[in-house]
Amino acid sequence: MAEKRVLLEHRDVPGIDTISGYEAVGGYEGVRRAVSMDPEAVIAEVKASGLQGRGGAGFPTWIKWSGLRGNPPGPRYVVCNADEGEPGTFKDRELMLRLPHMVVEGIAIAGYATGACRGFIYIRGEFTESARAVRRAMDEAYERGYLGPGMAGSEATFDLHVHMGAGSYECGEETALMSSLMGERGQPRAKPPHAPLPVVSGLWGRPTLINNVETYACVPHILRRGGAWYASLGTERSKGTKIFSVSGHVRKPGNYEIELGTPLSELIGMAGGVVGGALKAVIPGGSSVPILTASMCEGLALDYDSCRAAGTMLGSGGCMVFNDRTDIVKLMCATARFYAHESCGKCTPCREGTRWMYRIYQRIMRGDGRPGDADLLVSICNNIDGRSYCPLGDAAAWPIRASVERFREEYDYWVQHGRSPLGPDAVPEVH
Amino acid sequence: MSALNAGRTGRFSPEALRELEEIISHYPERRAAMLPALWIAQREYGGALTRDAIEEVARLLGRPAVEVEGVASFYTMYNLGRRGRRHLEVCTCLTCAVVGAAGVLRKLEERLGVRVGEVTPDGEFSLSEAECLNWCEAGTVVQVGDRYFGNVTPDNVEDLLAEITSGEGAGVVQQADSVVQVHLRRKGAPAGGTGRG
Repeated sequence: MAEKRVLLEHRDVPGIDTISGYEAVGGYEGVRRAVSMDPEAVIAEVKASGLQGRGGAGFPTWIKWSGLRGNPPGPRYVVCNADEGEPGTFKDRELMLRLPHMVVEGIAIAGYATGACRGFIYIRGEFTESARAVRRAMDEAYERGYLGPGMAGSEATFDLHVHMGAGSYECGEETALMSSLMGERGQPRAKPPHAPLPVVSGLWGRPTLINNVETYACVPHILRRGGAWYASLGTERSKGTKIFSVSGHVRKPGNYEIELGTPLSELIGMAGGVVGGALKAVIPGGSSVPILTASMCEGLALDYDSCRAAGTMLGSGGCMVFNDRTDIVKLMCATARFYAHESCGKCTPCREGTRWMYRIYQRIMRGDGRPGDADLLVSICNNIDGRSYCPLGDAAAWPIRASVERFREEYDYWVQHGRSPLGPDAVPEVH
Repeated sequence: MSALNAGRTGRFSPEALRELEEIISHYPERRAAMLPALWIAQREYGGALTRDAIEEVARLLGRPAVEVEGVASFYTMYNLGRRGRRHLEVCTCLTCAVVGAAGVLRKLEERLGVRVGEVTPDGEFSLSEAECLNWCEAGTVVQVGDRYFGNVTPDNVEDLLAEITSGEGAGVVQQADSVVQVHLRRKGAPAGGTGRG
């Protein structure tokens, strides 16, 4: 199997980031088709496509869209989660930078289908370059009437605004993002059964749809070419294509779009193969998903079910590849630091647990690791997992627990000898 | 609050106030414009959110200053402490770490004469580690203001320093302005492409 470019088909066409360049390759046909249909029919098309959320959770997109329509009349909101922060992932940044109109069109279609009056694209604060591209695309879309009153020739009004973040991984979580968008600290909110879903009560207590950038970018293609066409790509239970951000020890790191179900080994092949040594480990879906040993990668197909069965997750598609010079304990020390730094502080198990774990890694790195530290890490993971409002705690626990289980001998060596089993040249170097 | 601030004049320029009011109009309530208001303040106050900046935002949004400070302190890009006019952030997260971020950081410490977390004596540069900047295909990634630099190695650190000293957009004030500008709709903006970079 080779790359299968749907979203990225025209990535390298000069001027594709302008409205004329985008329209020249069929851009905005999707929204024009959508507004010629009943909103329910648009959602049916998305349902037929089998599209699942591309931000990490893989939730069926149409269910969220449909959930908005069941509400009583009144303001409804559509939000694009462009707060890409999952380590190893860089697809949304590139989609916005190079194909901003595709994202804008997808959001506009969602606005029409859900009956929303207003949309917000919440862009990570660091992404000014991508945000400028989105801003220009939005201004052009307004000029051509794809946004605003009478959008795309319909009777609907849909306004879209940019809202920039200011540095917080936690805001990529949908309820924290909403807190941030309403002007608060980016902390998560209660979810069912304790509180209603955002599709019932989100921004300002109103029904709110939140999808990821890549999810919205799929929508124009689904409307233009049909849900059935989209569903013909991928596997029976994982439809369509997915962009994987491949980085680490590969010859040609970058974004590669493949049909779901493509073997991991082929994705690594597309990225030019492993460099600097033999394959040792892969984190296939961003830092929040469990790490795989080289043997676990053999024959693994990249679809939602296969990844789950293999003891990991597809996640955001941030595929980090590590060669045999990589010290897994050091690598997970960086992971532990990340989650300790990014925990928003709301829930005790996550706030305290992530910092305890980082402290344990720090003492192991100093040569002061204690017998039982590996088990202690697992015990802390077990006590964080499932005990926080949002999945950040789980996301810290899963990869660390998996690394202890799958690379136990490296932990034991570190604790026993106070140094890396791979010698002084192992990567990553801890600053 | 209001009694304390009575008669005080803020540093938001008339243009900044216009920008803020336009942004506020995007939301059903003023408070929602907290993040953009803090970005405007960071620009208007020369790159740092001082006590006065926090109080002016509080006044403009009709919120308690302690709430504004609580929000500002949550997000890493707001400068509540001391940063240099150009703030260098080296990604040391997973991918960058395995392709040599520590070497880049060490070289920058050497070259600038400061450690991570410090500011040069002339106030020009500050240096910090950053968590994933999400351009992992180009590790090691360094962010300076609104500029991203990819494939940074100890050997090309000099080029980066030359570029940020002469180039646009690398300062903390320009970064805040860039963030503010993308919130604002440009009426009749010329259609134009953007390069990849």
